[in-house]
This record gives sequence, structure tokens and C-alpha cells, in this order.
Amino acid sequence: MIDKLMNTAVFKWIDDRSNIGSIIREHVTEYPTPRNLNYMWNFGSLAITVLVLQILTGIFLAMYYKPSAAMTIGGYTVAFDSVERIMRDVNFGWLIRYMHAVGASAFFVVVYMHMGRGLYYGSYKNPRELLWIIGVVILLIMQGAAFFGYLLPWGQMSFWGAVVITNLFGAIPVLGDFIGQLLVGGFAVGDPTLNRFFSLHYLFPLLLAAIVGGHIHALHVVHSNNPEGIDIDHDKETIPFHPYYTIKDAFGVCVFLLAYCYFVFYNPSAGGYFIEVDNYVPANNLQTPAHIAPVWYLTPWYTILRSFESKLLGVIMMGASLAILFVLPFLDRSKVRSARYRPVYRQMVILFFVAVLTLGYCGHASATPVLKVVGQIATAVYFGFFLLLPFVHKFEKTKPEPEGI
Amino acid sequence: MADQPDQSRRNFLYVASAGLGGIAAGAVAVPFIGSMLPAADTLAASKTEFDISTVAEGQLVVIQWQGKPVFVVNRTADMLERTKGHEDNLKDPNSEAIDAVQAGWMDTPEKRTLRAIKPEYLIVVASCTHLGCIPLFKPTAGQKDWGESVPSDWPGGWHCPCHGSFYDLSARVMNGSPAPFNLYVMPYKYTSDSTVLIG
Amino acid sequence: MKHAWSSLVFATMIVVMPAAASASGGGAHLEEANISLDQETLRKGLEVFTDVCMGCHSAKYVTYRGLMDYPEIGLTREQVDELRGDKALLSGLLTELTPEDAAEFYGKAPPDLSVIAPGRRGGGDYIYSLLIGYDHDPKGEIEDGNYNKAFPGNRTAMPDPLAWLDHDPEETADLEEQARAVSSFLVFIGDPHQLERKAIGRWVMGFLVLLTLVLYLLKREVWKDIKKH
Repeated sequence: MIDKLMNTAVFKWIDDRSNIGSIIREHVTEYPTPRNLNYMWNFGSLAITVLVLQILTGIFLAMYYKPSAAMTIGGYTVAFDSVERIMRDVNFGWLIRYMHAVGASAFFVVVYMHMGRGLYYGSYKNPRELLWIIGVVILLIMQGAAFFGYLLPWGQMSFWGAVVITNLFGAIPVLGDFIGQLLVGGFAVGDPTLNRFFSLHYLFPLLLAAIVGGHIHALHVVHSNNPEGIDIDHDKETIPFHPYYTIKDAFGVCVFLLAYCYFVFYNPSAGGYFIEVDNYVPANNLQTPAHIAPVWYLTPWYTILRSFESKLLGVIMMGASLAILFVLPFLDRSKVRSARYRPVYRQMVILFFVAVLTLGYCGHASATPVLKVVGQIATAVYFGFFLLLPFVHKFEKTKPEPEGI
Repeated sequence: MADQPDQSRRNFLYVASAGLGGIAAGAVAVPFIGSMLPAADTLAASKTEFDISTVAEGQLVVIQWQGKPVFVVNRTADMLERTKGHEDNLKDPNSEAIDAVQAGWMDTPEKRTLRAIKPEYLIVVASCTHLGCIPLFKPTAGQKDWGESVPSDWPGGWHCPCHGSFYDLSARVMNGSPAPFNLYVMPYKYTSDSTVLIG
Repeated sequence: MKHAWSSLVFATMIVVMPAAASASGGGAHLEEANISLDQETLRKGLEVFTDVCMGCHSAKYVTYRGLMDYPEIGLTREQVDELRGDKALLSGLLTELTPEDAAEFYGKAPPDLSVIAPGRRGGGDYIYSLLIGYDHDPKGEIEDGNYNKAFPGNRTAMPDPLAWLDHDPEETADLEEQARAVSSFLVFIGDPHQLERKAIGRWVMGFLVLLTLVLYLLKREVWKDIKKH
């Protein structure tokens, strides 16, 4: 079908002037892809799918959302009112808003799985270091976009989440107050904050789309890794992206949509995980909710923050836990990529995943002395993974890698 | 590839996937496009009540209905008289051009030419049917008050400043105007002797 | 073994999420409200809401017109006209109690109830438990009418709206039914498109199952070329 389309006169006219045909052939239809990719390689195309869904739903929500903290009757604000108007009066507004809210969480599920795959199969290693680094930039921008977006409904969790995180930036030495003021735009989180967060929440996904383009470009320079983690023969061991991976990705998107639509239509708040209960209470700058925790996708970093007695140290370690991802490709000195052939690394990376999940759990639950210790242990494991990496290759007996895939 | 794949099965699955995918894309478009249509609360605010007794004889009042301007004119006997005698100069003297504005109450020839439930109270959307400007009210006859801006046989009515359309005192468009239709008569009804519900 | 770790991740998530949810639920034990969104219950709940709750609380996002337009409630124009008196059709269900007076009488302004059900842990069950949770403080510290078993901290500023405390045992069933009905009403107005959402969801899920199946078959068919090597 694509061949037929590419043979039409209109397409040829465009192709003569843009070379689009060879770009499509080189990067989509005939793009050589390893033949043995497993379903963990579906999460890249899923991430793009969710990004498109988020941008699309976001554009339509922005047609009705009003970023103003001006008070209205009943203790509400213009912003809160506009969200409720979307939920009640706008045609299918409830659907678009729930898609956006569930999509935010889905985005992180998909991207975390995508990163986990990269870790397990050594996709960050030479020659894909830059690809990984661009990916970490994408993660940071996503977290920023999520943080900005979460303020917009102007509920209690929106407000207090913004208070906590802007104060957190305030803890940075020397520049802290300055950055805090840039974020807040006043003496406290308020109307100017809401306006700039809305502006940035609209900007960041567009940045994201551009950087995702860079991510894909970098991928197509160094080509996909594969579950065996070995360099492959680009003539004999690859298959064209279309139809094999287009169809496999489409199937993956459908499986994803099944789960996504289940939540959108039957459980949009996911019991407070996707839309927190307290965010249905309008923002009140005089009363902090009794139970305050970030949305689930930020809880691992929140636990790292809480694991240290000193505020400054907590902030530094939280920053370090993200920053260390940038240098991961240079910490790992092993020549072997895939955990399949690295018995020690395999144990380490699984322990690392468990630590991240534990951090996530501890950040969501109410702080108890036991959980605090558990969180500290998980924090130690998190950093231990990175600190041990430069030395693993010295004692790890790797298994023999196969000749080909 | 020793044995050939089953091409008909493969083609069927291709067509089925493409077809279902197309349906999915169409279905997704519905809520998004639907969301851009007026919201329920906007539609709910679509009616306007107005007390016509506040309009003095011979006076024109502009009110708002659905965010659009509406003319309410209390026509004097003289003004009603001046809606007659120039039928040949009108594009649509009997309000027949648009089905939508042939309201149920337009059941007599007189109501079709006077275009009002109560003859003296003309209520029309104040947007020129050409490109939407608000016509100027020039109720007196002839060029005495209006100079060359109106023709010498001016019976009184509206003159659109944007592109020069003319309407008579029943808001019927005159020949030679760029506007294609008479000013619209929106749905309205009297809920009491002096109250109209517009919309 | 290939997917060992991914299964591990999923398994852990499935175990951890409900555990975390129950941990964050906290608070007092809640009675099961048996929320039901049928028209009879919702109309009864509306009646309790306008007769009792609206003495102090508003639900500003629910308009009188909405009571006609939402098929789940589906009042006629006449019924709505009788209910609203001289208030506008597009006005929300607003109490006549001003926030200033409320603060003077009860110490603080009663919250708007439009999104009270999604905005409280336990939702409808919590509201139900609260309405039938008035009791004598076993420790004798909190005075009657302010002591509530379901309220976090047990001291509530809301005076016993259904006169539950020390009620005639014969009235128990009736009061419980009122509490259930108004809880259901509040669950409904918290998200008035929830039934429509679930109804549409059935079609979407059904369609997606079909599409997934077809794509799975297509994927298997096309990949036969590769697997043969």
C-alpha cells in the first residue's frame, strides 16, 4: 500500500522537491532493524504514542482551561471552575481531561519501562552513549512538564506540591532564592506562578517533541541495540522496519490502549494514583492537606529527598540521583552489553529495579520510622548500583556471547 | 522461504486492520471535534428575555442575544406605512428566501411583509447578511437627514456602512445591495403582553 | 527467563499498589453505603440535599437546569420551576447562608459539596458513614453533636444534619436510607458523566479487543517470513 502511495504523481512531485521518498525509505519502511527484538522494544513507539495523545488532548483542554487564581464563590478559583466546566459542560470534556490525566501517568509507566529495557540490555553503552543522554534530557523535561501541569487544576495537591518543590529549588546554594523567584514570580505560589506554569506546560511538550526527534536521529545513526547486546551484520541480520516492526508496534499500541482505556473509562483517578483525592479540594494557602505526597511517578525521588536529615543534602542527593543517569554510560566499563551474558550485572540491575520500586512505595506511604529506614536502604542500593558499576568488569565472569542473532 | 505464505489470509488481515484502524481514527475525531462545539452551559444561556415596553415609539434599541446584537424597533404608524409601495425594489418582499426565517407565525401576507408578531415591534438580528457589519438606522424618508448616503427615493430603513447595503423599515434588503438576504428574524415569542423570549 | 525482570516489575507493581492504597486510606472504619445511581435514589438524594444540606452547603457546579438535563435525574421543567422558586435556571444549587454567617455560627464556612465525593477518601462511603456517625464521645471530651466516629479526629463542626444521635430506633432504616440517597446524589454530582463514561467504555473496550486480536493475527502472519530462518 505504501509503495502504491509512493508511486502516485502527487507524491513524485513532492519527492522531486524534497527527497521525502528516500528519507521515508531510509528511516521508516526500509530502515534495517535487528530481527530479534523482543516486546520490550515496543516501549519506544509507545512513548511517542503517548506524547502525541498528551499534546493532542492538551491542545483541546487549553481551549477551555483558564489559568487564573482569582477567587470565585464557594472558595473556588477561576482555574478550578474552568476544569470543572470541562468536566461537566464541555462536550466530551470529561473524556479529554481524563485521557490527559491518565496519559500523564501512562507516559511515565512507558518511559520507565523503556529506560529499564535500556539498562537491562546495556543499550546505553558504546556507541549509544549520546542516545542515552538525550533520553535522560527527555526524562527531565517530562518531569518538568508533569510538575507544571499538575499545578493547573489549582487543587490542594497542585498548590502544596508547587510550594514544596519551589522551596526545594530554594535550597540550592547561592542561586536558590533566584531560581525560586523565577518559578514563583511573587512572594508565594499564586496567580503569577499559575500563569507561567501554564505557559511552560504548553512549551515543554513542544520541546519534548523536538528532542524526541533528536533521540530518533541519534538512534538511526548508531542503530538499535538488541537483546543479545552484540554488534550485528547489517545486511544479513536485519529486517526492514516495515512491515515487521510497524505491525508489531501497532499491535503493542493496541495492547497499551486496552490498559489505557480501561483506566480512562472505568478508573480514571486510579484510586488517587492518577488524580489525587485532595486535588478535588480547592487550593487553600492557609491549610496543608494532612497527607501530602507527590504523584506516584515522582515518589522515588521524593523518598531520596526524605532519606537525609539535612535539607541541603537531601536536595543535593535528589539532584544527584537524576544527574548520575547522565554519566551512566561512562561508569560502566564492561565490553559486554546485555545482562543476559553478565551474571553479576544482571543481579545488580534487578536489585536496582527493586530499589526504585521500593523508593516509589516509601515516597507514597505515610512516613513511619520503619519505612524511613527502608527508604534509606533503598537509597543506598540506588546509588550503590552506580558506584559499583566502574568495578564490576574487573571481577565479573561474563558468559560467552553468541556469534550472531 | 520454502512454502509460500497464504496471501489471501494475509491480505484479509491487512484490509481488516486498516479498516478497523480507520474506524478508530474516525471515532477518536468525534470527541475532539465535538469538544469545539458550544458547551452545554453556553447553549443553555442561549435565550434572552426582554421587556419591549421599554422601547419608546419610533425608537430603536440594540440588545444582546447569544453575544450578537439584536435590533428592537417600536415602529410608528407612519413607519409601518412606509414599508409599503416599494415592493419592486426589494429582493425578497415576502420573506421567502430562507426557510429558517419563515417562522411558524408568519401565516398571513401582512406578517410576511411586516416581519413581526406584533406589527409595531420589529425584532431582527442586527448583522448585515452580507458580511456581518451592523447597519445604521436611518428611519426618516428621503435625503433630507442623510444626504447622498441614501438614494433619493429612500423610504427609511437601514444603511450598512461597510459595503452599502440598504434595508427598508421591515429590514428587507433592497435591490442593488451586496447583501443577499433580509436581516434575519430569530425565533422569539411573547411570554406575556410586553415580554419577549428571544431564542 | 527472557522476561524474568519485566514480569518481576509488573508483579511487584501489582502487589505494591493496592498495599499502598490501603495504607494511605487510613482513618476510621467506614460503613458500606451501597451507593446506587438509579433515578429513584438520586431524586430522593436531591430532595435530602435541597431540604437538609442546602441549609448551609452549596453545590455550585450543579445548576437547576442540570437537574433537567442529566437523564440520571431527569426532572421536568415544572418540577425544577417549583424547586428553584425565583432563582435563575442557570444558577447553581446555592445555599442562602452567607460564608460570614456560617463562620459565626459554626466556626468555619461549610464546604461546597459539588466535588465532595471525589474529594474525600472513601467517597460515598465516607459521606454515608459521616451522616450516621454521630455518637456520644466514649471519652466524654467532645460534646454531643460535635463527636463523629467517621470524621478524622472525631471533632466535626457540622451539627448532626439528619438528627441521627439518639434517634428513635424505629427511624433507623429511614435515616439510613436518607443518608444512602444523599451520599449517592453527591457521588453522582461529583462526576455527572460517570454512567455515560462507563457506557461508552464498553464499546471502546470491545472494539479494542477486536482490533488487538486482528493485529495480533496479522503480526503472526507477517512474521512467519522471519521465523523460518
